[in-house]
Amino acid sequence: MNHENFETLLPLYAAGQLTEVERAEVEAHLPTCAVCQVDLELWQAVSGEIGTANRALAAPPALTERALEQVHAPNGLTAAFLRAWQLLHAQAFLVQNEMWPATASVMALGVIVALLSKHVEFVHFITPLIAAATLSMLSGQENDPAYELTAATPTSPWKILLARLSIVSAYNFLLALAAMLILLFRMPPGSFGTLALGLLAPMAFLSALALLLSQWIGANNAIAITYFLWIAQNIPFQFLDRWMVSSTTWVSVVSAYQQFWQQPGLLLTLSVLIISIALWSANRPVFRLNQEPG
Amino acid sequence: MTSYALPKKETWPDTMASPEPHLELLQRLSAGDESALRELYAAYGQRLYAYALRLTGDPTGADDVVQETLVTVWRTAGKYRGEGRVLAWLLGIVHNLALKTLRRRPLPITDEMETTLPAPGASPETQAQANDQARWVQQGLQTLSSEHRAVLELVFYQGLSLEEAARVCNCPLGTVKSRLSYARQHLRGVLSRQNVEEWR
Repeated sequence: MNHENFETLLPLYAAGQLTEVERAEVEAHLPTCAVCQVDLELWQAVSGEIGTANRALAAPPALTERALEQVHAPNGLTAAFLRAWQLLHAQAFLVQNEMWPATASVMALGVIVALLSKHVEFVHFITPLIAAATLSMLSGQENDPAYELTAATPTSPWKILLARLSIVSAYNFLLALAAMLILLFRMPPGSFGTLALGLLAPMAFLSALALLLSQWIGANNAIAITYFLWIAQNIPFQFLDRWMVSSTTWVSVVSAYQQFWQQPGLLLTLSVLIISIALWSANRPVFRLNQEPG
Repeated sequence: MTSYALPKKETWPDTMASPEPHLELLQRLSAGDESALRELYAAYGQRLYAYALRLTGDPTGADDVVQETLVTVWRTAGKYRGEGRVLAWLLGIVHNLALKTLRRRPLPITDEMETTLPAPGASPETQAQANDQARWVQQGLQTLSSEHRAVLELVFYQGLSLEEAARVCNCPLGTVKSRLSYARQHLRGVLSRQNVEEWR
């Protein structure tokens, strides 16, 4: 065995890991080699130092329990559903409390008026307005008592907004559905589906627009603009003929505008687009023009 | 004839006595027995933690690595086929997870930073008490890269053979030998600098 072989064996000798035969060979070589003697001294010092440093360490006692907790924690889809549920549950309490009874009361009043006046379409008229008003008051300093707290949470603003949007929209939808069911016996047979879809699409579009505008220019402005847009389709613009020269262009513009509200497919597509923009801009405070400086 | 006293070999209760005393623990683990994980940690926890701490260099990182190791063991115990010792298998998991943690770190620890790291558990008082050689060896170990230090830890503290150390580090046997050789050169260099300074 040459010197290089002994160089390899020495650390193992110091670590007490050699076989009887190898150990005897090393011990026979050592008295004849000054270099190996120095090396052995070095490896013994290393072994002692590593042993001393490591023996001073204690394994943290709680790691097994933490590992078992991690093992039993729900994962994947279950965990995602659980997180979503927790977020919805938490946000349900942070939406302005007065909104729930106020919305229900206005809707009930609308149903009563519709029943008494025998104009079922009155509910069709007010439902998108109610929805737009509620959606415009979802976030922002003026509507959120826990605004500072919400802004400080690790959850992304767009997730918080989506949670609130889902809760309030679901509530509005249920209210609208309840109103429709009450009015069912007042409606002409077979018109439920048409009315429901004709109600749902403008409701979704106006809500989405109110949400986006409330983020950009404040809740009050959002309500004013969406209400004007919705009411504008029912204004008999023909009266303007008295003051201005009636033109085919004007008539076609008014007609196209009224047609716009009659297209559920287009309205629902635009709603999805607008909500996406609202969620995107929720993460970018620069878009919130209504924020006061400081 | 000069006698070369061997350092007293570490004796680990049970774990080293038979070729594989804890195979039954892994079988219980794969059957979902939680107490088996606690027993495994009682038997190997200290060594796994020590190795994780040497590789990561910080106690929080070592905690996370060992916790992840236990989770991995819980999930993969059924795949252990008795190839090698349980200790080597466990250290292999620690090694891989510690490397992943180090890769995720935004700033790698450079050699320069390593030399400024305080020695674990070495207060000025204990350093003063320690003899000069031990102090220089300590400094030499601290300035080794984590991959060279890992081989020394596996051989001298964990009691692994070079083949087992190669499996844990996921590298060829030749690499383990060359790392040992490099560590020797490095420590010799540190010690010779010490001698020069002492003669000044």
